[in-house]
Amino acid sequence: MGAEHTSVPRWGSERPAPDPSARTVLLVGFGARGCAITTAWSADVPGGRPVEVLAADDADESVLAVLTARIAGARVGWRLMLAGPEVDVLAARAVALRAGVLDAEIRCAVTSTDRKRVYCPHCRTTTATTAPVGEETPCDGCGRRLHVYAHVSRRAGAYLGFMADAEEVA
Amino acid sequence: MTATLTAPDALRADDGRLVLEVAGVVDEVPGVRTLALRRPGGGLLPAHPAGSHVVLDCGDRRNAYSLTGDGSAADEYRVSVLLCPGGGGGSAFVHRLAVGDVVTASRPRSAFAPVSTARHHLLIAGGIGITPMLSHARAAVRWKRSFELLYGHRPGAGAYLDELRGLCGDRLAAHGSTAEMLAAVRAALADQPLGTHVYVCGPAPLIAFVEETAAELGWPGERVHAERFSAADLDPGEPFTARLARSGTRVPVPSGTSLLVALERAGVAVPNLCRQGVCGECRVPVRSGRPLHRDLYLSETERAAGDSVMCCVSRSVDDELELDL
Repeated sequence: MGAEHTSVPRWGSERPAPDPSARTVLLVGFGARGCAITTAWSADVPGGRPVEVLAADDADESVLAVLTARIAGARVGWRLMLAGPEVDVLAARAVALRAGVLDAEIRCAVTSTDRKRVYCPHCRTTTATTAPVGEETPCDGCGRRLHVYAHVSRRAGAYLGFMADAEEVA
Repeated sequence: MTATLTAPDALRADDGRLVLEVAGVVDEVPGVRTLALRRPGGGLLPAHPAGSHVVLDCGDRRNAYSLTGDGSAADEYRVSVLLCPGGGGGSAFVHRLAVGDVVTASRPRSAFAPVSTARHHLLIAGGIGITPMLSHARAAVRWKRSFELLYGHRPGAGAYLDELRGLCGDRLAAHGSTAEMLAAVRAALADQPLGTHVYVCGPAPLIAFVEETAAELGWPGERVHAERFSAADLDPGEPFTARLARSGTRVPVPSGTSLLVALERAGVAVPNLCRQGVCGECRVPVRSGRPLHRDLYLSETERAAGDSVMCCVSRSVDDELELDL
């Protein structure tokens, strides 16, 4: 499945440290484990740099709206750090990337990868699932059996699914 | 020079190059000459992204000059060239050209384009480095992009100043003193909306100041774009041997001779244009040995990979460099 060239993020086993060149930092933690990481990060940000910490259960619309507002008001030198389950980190990162934040300005720590969102290109619905890459999940929108493909859209923050039996004769 | 270039064979000698006639010569300020270049029979020239340059044949050498237009297809290119009496002769060649002379140039090459996703463009120009920034400013006005331009120039010698004032209005800040200019650059870098990209063209110390100040103020390198005139004066370097993996040939590269020249003398044709580490044309794949990178083209990642070398200026750390040629 193209493992060498997949767009599925490799998060790495080491938790990233705050960027020493940051002038202001926004930390967003999802869930208890994510928030434990943002607490540790806030202590590691070099002194004198303004730090804001957001805590959320998951990347719902309200926290993503706050993130969007912070990005709109941010000045160059701002950094974003995200911690929590992959599904939430990807959703928040997608909001930031769409708003013009660069990869170099975002650091992520992922605490679990079991949950994911899968985008259906047939009906354009995004479905929450725990199916691993390579297996199938039903689409919430059109009911098609989706093959969860090893491709992650940076802009949508979701995996790509496609009709599992598209080439079979009906 | 016109006579040698009007022969049809000469015009076909280098496929894809543009044959251009000097249609106008204007001295912007003392020492800075602007050429208007058109197709001899008229007609549109290729469009290009803002910040592009053409490589102009200047007698026995080729120099890169920025196009100052907004990049949309037009029947005229304009380049502005500062006369450098101690230079390699390219600028003196340009300053000898007169209306009606015919020159050859590459098609536009883009190595300094505006980032399409940027929220704001901070343009910084020093001296004749205004030429690509003029192109950026014109394109930004045309496409209604948010921008500001900081322009440092010698007192009374700011090329395009009147035109820029009309074009940019209060988005232009021109400074006739270096101290004032650097203070303005620092202030601008200190407070920009996230999503801003900064572009700088000018003398090496200005570029270094912008890069260092930006890094200090938390700008990631990805938001900082520089266009250099040429690689700094380079030392002659240690001698080494180039081993050509495909033919098994060994080419000695003495101190003071570039790898490109040594390859050419050995009968190996390597595509090249600027011969000063800027244009990226002469990239050669490396199989083994550590390149000593001295160019301005390769990124940090590409340098670290060590699998290619810009042979016009770069050399070898090891006694032998094995090339995939």
